[in-house]
Amino acid sequence: MIEAHTLTKTYGSKTAVNDITFTVRPGAVTGFLGPNGAGKSTTMRMIVGLDRPTAGRVTVNGKLYADHSSPLHEVGALLDAKAVHTGRSAENHLLALAATHRIPKRRVSEVIELTGLESVARKRVGGFSLGMGQRLGIAAALLGDPQTLILDEPINGLDPEGVRWVRSLVRGLAAEGRTVLLSSHLMSEMAVTADHLIVLGKGRVIANAPVAEVIGGATRVSVRVRSPQASVLASTLASPEVTVTHVEHDLLTVTGITAESVGDRAARAGIALHELTPITASLEEAYLQLTNDDVEYRTGASARDLEMTR
Amino acid sequence: MTTLTVAHDAPELRMPRALPASPVRFGGVLRSETIKLRSLRSTVWSYAVLILVSFGLAALMASTIASTIDGAVPAEGQTAIVMQVSSFPVALGQLVAAVLGVLFIAGEYGTGMIRSTFAAVPRRLPVLWAKTLVLFVATFLVGLVSTVGAYLIGIPFLAGSDVSAPLTDPDVLRAVMGGALYLALIAVFALGVGTVLRNSAGGIAVVLGIILIVPTVLQLIPADWATNMIPYLISDAGLGGLGIQSDIPGSLEPWQQLLVVLGWVAASLTAGAIMMKRRDA
Repeated sequence: MIEAHTLTKTYGSKTAVNDITFTVRPGAVTGFLGPNGAGKSTTMRMIVGLDRPTAGRVTVNGKLYADHSSPLHEVGALLDAKAVHTGRSAENHLLALAATHRIPKRRVSEVIELTGLESVARKRVGGFSLGMGQRLGIAAALLGDPQTLILDEPINGLDPEGVRWVRSLVRGLAAEGRTVLLSSHLMSEMAVTADHLIVLGKGRVIANAPVAEVIGGATRVSVRVRSPQASVLASTLASPEVTVTHVEHDLLTVTGITAESVGDRAARAGIALHELTPITASLEEAYLQLTNDDVEYRTGASARDLEMTR
Repeated sequence: MTTLTVAHDAPELRMPRALPASPVRFGGVLRSETIKLRSLRSTVWSYAVLILVSFGLAALMASTIASTIDGAVPAEGQTAIVMQVSSFPVALGQLVAAVLGVLFIAGEYGTGMIRSTFAAVPRRLPVLWAKTLVLFVATFLVGLVSTVGAYLIGIPFLAGSDVSAPLTDPDVLRAVMGGALYLALIAVFALGVGTVLRNSAGGIAVVLGIILIVPTVLQLIPADWATNMIPYLISDAGLGGLGIQSDIPGSLEPWQQLLVVLGWVAASLTAGAIMMKRRDA
C-alpha cells in the first residue's frame, strides 16, 4: 500500500509534482500513466526517498520509506535501468545490494535465473543492452522479495518476448497480493497490464480509476460506416446530437449514435452499407484526451489518425 | 561492443518463498561497500599501480643515493636516508589514493549507482561511513605493503654504502606506518570531496589542486602569511613527518601534523555528510 498525500515537488520555479494525493492498493497492478514531464518518475523517486518532497508526504505500508528497518524487503524499485555502475558485473552489483540486508547468495542466483540473466551475470554491465539493463533492474527490485514493487518504464527497450514476460510477472506479483505500481508511456501496454490507472498530467492527477472506467469515461463511442452513398447517409443521420465526419469519400465516422441505429436508418433510407463497425475508444485515445489541453485538436479524429500522429 | 544475448525463454513465474526480513545493519553496509571496492577493475588496478610504482621508485631512489655516497655516513644520517627511501613513494602514491577516493563515491553518482545504493540504505549516512572505513583500511594495507616493500627493496642497494637502519627504529617505523596512514587519510579526504562535488573529474581536479598546486602557489607568494600557512596544508603536514621534505623552520611536531591532516579529513567528510543527507539523489 502506497499512500501519497498532497505530495508536491518543485525544482526552483518549476513544479514537477503539484499537490497530488493517491493510494496504490495491494493485489492489483496500478498503472502510472502520463506524458514525459508529467511527474511520474519524480513521484516514484519520492516514494523511495531519493527525492525529498517540497510538501506533503508519501508512505509505504504506513511508514516513510527511510523509516523501514528493512527497506528492500518492503519495496523493490526499478527507477532507472542505469542505476548500476557500468564497471561492475551484474552478479557483483546484486551481491553488493544483497549484502546490505544480509540477503543470502542463493537469492541472488534465484533472481538472476528468474530474469534470465544467467549467461551474462558475470559480464560487466557496461556492455549490456537496454533490455538486459532492464532485466537487471527488475532482478534488483525482486531481490528482497518485497511486498511492494515500483517499476518505472520497465518495458523500455525490451523485445516483445521481454514485454510479455514483464506483463505476466507483474500480473503474477499482483495476484499474490502484492502492491504493484508500474509506469509506462505505452498506453496500449497499460490497457492489457494494469487494473487501475492513475493518469498524471503536468504534475497533477487527471484520472484515478479502474482502467475500464478511464476508457469509458473519457471518450464517446463512435461508429465507422462505409457506404457507396456516404454523403446521402451523412445527411440522413444528421441531427444535433450526432456528429458525422468524412474520413474518405466512402467512409464516415459517426458519434452520438449506436451502430444499430445507423444500420436501421440506412435500411429505412435504402442505403447500402459495406461496413458498420462500432469503435470502442482505445486507452490511448482516452489518455490523449485526458492529458492534452488542446481538445479541439482531436475532435472528430479517427483512431487511425491518432495512430499516425503518435 | 560485444553482443550479449539473454535466454529468451522466460522462466516460469514461481515466486521463491518469502525471505526472512533482516534489517539493514552497519555490518551489512560495510560488506556491501567491500564488495563494491573489490569488484571494480579500476580499484584493483590503481592499488596494483600504487604498489608497483612504489617499489620501482624505492629502487631508483636507493640506487641514486647509494651512488652519491662517498665515505662513512653517521648513524643519524643513515636513518634519514632509509626513511626517505621508504616513504618517498608516498609522494606519488598520494595522487593514486586521491583519485581512488574521489572515484569510490563520484563513480556512483556518475553512473546512477547511487540511486540503487540509497534505495537499499535510505538513511544514507551509513553508506558514507562504511565507504570511509573500507577505503581507509584497504588503502592503509596497500600503503603498508608499498612502504614496507620500499624499505625492503631499498636496503640491499644502501647496504653497499654501509647505510642501514632497522625497521624497528622509531623514525623508520614512523616513516613506514606514517606513510601508509597518510595515504589512507588522503583517500578518505578525497572521498569527502567527491561526495560534495559528485563528479569524478571535478573531484579529482580539486583534490589534486589542494595537494599539488596550493602549496606551490603559497610558496610563490612573497608574504609571511602565505609562508606561515604552508605547514597547515594537508600534503605538507602529511609528508612533513615522513622524512621526505626537509624540515621547514617553524614546522610542526609529528603529532601536530597528524592533527592537521585529521582536521582536513574531518572537514571534508563533514561537508560530504551534510550534502549527502540533504540533497536529492
